[in-house]
Amino acid sequence: MIYDRVLAFMEADIGTGAAADEAFNALALAVFAHQFEHNQPYRRFAMQRGRTPRGVRSWRDIPAVPINAFKDLTLSCRPAEESVRIFMTSGTTKGGIRGQIHHATLTVYDRSMLLNFRRRFMPGEGRMAMGILFPTETAMPNSSLAHYLELARAECGTPDSRHWIGEAGIDTAGLYDRLDAAERSGQPFALLGASYGFVHLMDAMARDGRRFSLPEGSRILDTGGFKGQSRELEPDEFYGRLAEFFGVPRRLCINMYGMTELSTQFYDDGNAVCPSLKSGPHWIRSRVVDPLSGRDVPPGSMGVLVHHDLAHVNSVAAILTEDAGILEEGGFRLLGRVAGAQAKGCSLAVEDFLAAARG
Amino acid sequence: MAFGDEPEPAGHLPGLPPDAVERRVLTFGSGDAALRVAVPVLDAGQVERVAATVRAAARGYLKTLPTAHVVAVIDAAVQRLLDREDPWRRRAERLLPAVTGYDPEMVRLGLTGYLKTFRAHELRRFLAEDFANPLVLDEFQPAPKGGFTRAFGPDLLLHVWAGNVPGLPLWSLISGLLVKSGTVGKLPSAEPLFAGWFAQLLAEIDPRLGECLAVVWWKGGDAAAERAWLARADTVVAYGGNAALAAIRDRVPVTTRFLPYGHKISFALVSRAALDPRRAAETARLAAHDIARYDQQGCYSPQTLFVERGGRLSPQDFAAMLAHELAAQARKHPRRALSMAEAGEVAGWRDGQALRGLDGSGHLLLSDPAGGWCVSCTDAPDGLVPTALNRTIAVVAVDDLAEVAGRVAPHRAVLQTAGIAAPPEELFRLAGPLGAAGVTRLCALGAMTAPEAGWHHDGRFNLLDLVTVTEIERSAEALAEGLARYAD
Repeated sequence: MIYDRVLAFMEADIGTGAAADEAFNALALAVFAHQFEHNQPYRRFAMQRGRTPRGVRSWRDIPAVPINAFKDLTLSCRPAEESVRIFMTSGTTKGGIRGQIHHATLTVYDRSMLLNFRRRFMPGEGRMAMGILFPTETAMPNSSLAHYLELARAECGTPDSRHWIGEAGIDTAGLYDRLDAAERSGQPFALLGASYGFVHLMDAMARDGRRFSLPEGSRILDTGGFKGQSRELEPDEFYGRLAEFFGVPRRLCINMYGMTELSTQFYDDGNAVCPSLKSGPHWIRSRVVDPLSGRDVPPGSMGVLVHHDLAHVNSVAAILTEDAGILEEGGFRLLGRVAGAQAKGCSLAVEDFLAAARG
Repeated sequence: MAFGDEPEPAGHLPGLPPDAVERRVLTFGSGDAALRVAVPVLDAGQVERVAATVRAAARGYLKTLPTAHVVAVIDAAVQRLLDREDPWRRRAERLLPAVTGYDPEMVRLGLTGYLKTFRAHELRRFLAEDFANPLVLDEFQPAPKGGFTRAFGPDLLLHVWAGNVPGLPLWSLISGLLVKSGTVGKLPSAEPLFAGWFAQLLAEIDPRLGECLAVVWWKGGDAAAERAWLARADTVVAYGGNAALAAIRDRVPVTTRFLPYGHKISFALVSRAALDPRRAAETARLAAHDIARYDQQGCYSPQTLFVERGGRLSPQDFAAMLAHELAAQARKHPRRALSMAEAGEVAGWRDGQALRGLDGSGHLLLSDPAGGWCVSCTDAPDGLVPTALNRTIAVVAVDDLAEVAGRVAPHRAVLQTAGIAAPPEELFRLAGPLGAAGVTRLCALGAMTAPEAGWHHDGRFNLLDLVTVTEIERSAEALAEGLARYAD
């Protein structure tokens, strides 16, 4: 029932303005009521904050769960054993403990992904030849990104689209041949993968002295940042190098900002200018809050992002991230992770304590 | 409060004309309250010159002085800083809150308490703690095994300071002077003023002594600048996180003595005896004081309070009283403004503690709605719980305080102070196991942030670690006797 309402809302053209706000709000309250009723830990969390469906009138007052909660609690409306899929976070913080996100069905997730992906990454294209710089879904069954990329390939890629990362890492020789062929074909080519994967590939290309000039209309989608898997590059340098190595203009180098803890992704309209403005479809809304008080910061000020994703039906729709951002007309600017502050003095900070405890 | 247009100069550079030095401006705070500090950036030639000046002055002057004279000069400087009308003291009271962000009254009270530990009689305590006969620093003294010994400080002692707790560099700076070392200190970027002022004040009182120490700056992690100084030092004392210390250690020449002081974690123990209705409020007040002072940035600041069950008040009751006292502290001495990263850390810790309560394990969370402080209280058998600092504290209930040593022991490498509120027999009963577990300082709850004069920082000998001992063996003495002009 609630799933049908959410699916219908995603398909609808709700426009903008007061009517759209009202429609979003009504569905957000319904999703909250559903989650409050069926998701026991979330119910306790909401009660602890004095927020119940009876008292909440605006989606902004629906309590947002910190993403760390997924490491400690099973936040699911259906019993965990009924989950069709459990996505896990990468576990780069908190001593390697991974958060678990339960999905009772992937129907809503998949619909959300595809509607949005087609609109933001594939405008004007039915299918495109794709090269994917990430392991397959079979190799990584708990990775939401693997599933996302598999959907992109299966639903939006031409039949010859494939993954270029296997157990032995990137098949650079094979990929070079494929990119050569794409160059000769004159047909646009899409390269999709984790941001750190692109860093590794470009390092290999620099060593091998390879550059490509992909046909007009070709594009790149990167996501996920570097996560300690590769060296860190500033966005300007990263997109500059992508443009240089693949001949894809920066406006067609699109970054997807997603989280395992959500069912909907955000995109920018290319990275000609960094940091780019990110935005999502009409079934997700974002706030920027003061992390301590939880209150919205004034427009234009920096704070921590809270996302309210109506497609995240089985879990919790409102998520308090650890990402800093600034809300602007038409989206938000993402300013990187907030957590991991260094102590100013000589008292041992949490991260160092954990590092010391791990030895 | 607005500050002047000219940035406040930092450092102390004997041997260099002031206008020859390039400076970098660091900005603290924002808007009208912003304070700019100009720190010195020396080139290779200037490093050479300052090092040579300090080394030569130390050899030619400081090493010839009796320790008592050094004590007298330091005491004179400290007395001036204790005088609230003195221009240096006024400058410190005005600028240190702006640099560190701490509440002005907290800085003022903290400075006075801290500086008192460096008055002449307290300095003698420092000396007596480490040397059975402090005269060993001045002349060869008879050794119990026979012969004579004398202790020498290094000619050039380099301090790499870190942190923003005002005045913290004074411990090592003064230790170096007491063993008559030529001294170069690197200012911490988080608080780059106090050490330089102290050096200038010493120079005002005794200009020749002022030549024996320099206070410099380089950007943390600047390998070239760091190497240049490390290569010139005989001994290096460094403060910082383990990663920073490891980077410095890798650059210290193998023949140079390296004394690292890493970041530490501290905790407190509250006995059920301190939890009767007559004493509990005072106990909570003392704990809140330790937590609020410098927003837990000091290595001696508590992060966990182990509170014993079975008293007239339960650990949960105590947590509630503590929350009340922290609220009072927040009104009296508000916490400094947090950066987005720090606020995120505090919020993340608080929310994580809140989530623990959802599994029904008896977890209590008390926090300021605006996020100014946070008390988490658990019945779970937790060990040491690191918090997000900035007035966040974990109260862990225990059946018997004797359990605590076992719970903290896995973290022996990072343990430092244990504040304690317990009756005498219990204090001594607990002290042995805590010491064996790695705790190096036991003090009263309420005194955690004010170590006494002569404390053994991280269990080390502040002065003894710096010196080398030269012995005149009995054989030399005996042979000499035979060669005397008055020998029979």
